[in-house]
Amino acid sequence: MALIFVRTTVIFLTLLLIMRLMGKSQVGEMQPFEFVISLLIAELACIPMADTSIPLLYGIIAIVAIFILHQIVWLLDLWFKPMKTVVCGKPSIVINKDGIDEYQLRQNNLDISDLIESMRVAGYFSLDDVYYGLYEANGSFSALENPDRSTSSLSVTLIDSGKADKKNLAVTGIGQEDLDKFLKEQNVKLKQVLVMTVDGEGRVYFQKCGEKYKILNIGVNNKW
Amino acid sequence: MVKSIIYTTVALLACIILFVTVDIYLERQFDEFHGALETLYAKVEDNDANREDGYAIKEMWADKKSKLHVFIPHNDISYVDYWLNEACGLIYKKEYDLALGKLEVLLEISQNLPDAYTLKLENIF
Repeated sequence: MALIFVRTTVIFLTLLLIMRLMGKSQVGEMQPFEFVISLLIAELACIPMADTSIPLLYGIIAIVAIFILHQIVWLLDLWFKPMKTVVCGKPSIVINKDGIDEYQLRQNNLDISDLIESMRVAGYFSLDDVYYGLYEANGSFSALENPDRSTSSLSVTLIDSGKADKKNLAVTGIGQEDLDKFLKEQNVKLKQVLVMTVDGEGRVYFQKCGEKYKILNIGVNNKW
Repeated sequence: MVKSIIYTTVALLACIILFVTVDIYLERQFDEFHGALETLYAKVEDNDANREDGYAIKEMWADKKSKLHVFIPHNDISYVDYWLNEACGLIYKKEYDLALGKLEVLLEISQNLPDAYTLKLENIF
């Protein structure tokens, strides 16, 4: 019996650690330890029920172990604040006054396209629509909205982490030469660009790696 | 919050008590069974075992296994059943040499089976 308890504890801690290491992109809407519990409870309840060679008591003990661990984690969260950070993680500010924080994105195993997607889900279609953007510990995206946001068309990504998106260049009617000329004007190489998006009015959100973003303009064919 | 602490503590204590009790219970049940098997083994060695001895040990095991089903996987119980029936069958036919081999397996199983459920590093991983 004690063996089942300890085995359950080992699996619980392992899953929790793995979920924490996987970062916010995998957690979804739950706290990491809640997600671990959701994964475990279904199996723990199911296997002894389905497999008659396993005493039902094994399943019951494992579920009780999960309950005790959940309570302990919850109590530690309340009493010992650093524990909350260890178990549940902490919010990550991925957009600040300088633009996108690439380091914070990498820390959470996210990339620019994940961020843009999260922003769209939250109702922001341009990177400068928000002053601050952050991923909460449960993986959801929150933002402090820019009151002057004036997006009237969809922004498309032209450069993501130093790579040009040829499909989007074609959509916007910006040729490779135009892009090269634009980059030359900014005195940067393609590889140095963290992100470059453009909306239907030619408004460009441009950020070089390790620098503050700029709002610029470029000629577009206004097709979208 | 006090309620939660009480629930958690009670659940934890109940688990610990259950673990210790079950551990002692399993150890005792298998010790008794092992003792009975040793007696039967000695009788078989002396070519002195008879049908009644076989019935007695099977009856003893049947009584124990009805309770052991709650605590150990049923496959392990079936394993003991299999070897016990083999041994008793050979004792009924008075094939003592062959029965000794089966009883040795049973002795080994009854000695090692409780260890498979105890809290040991090799059992955890």
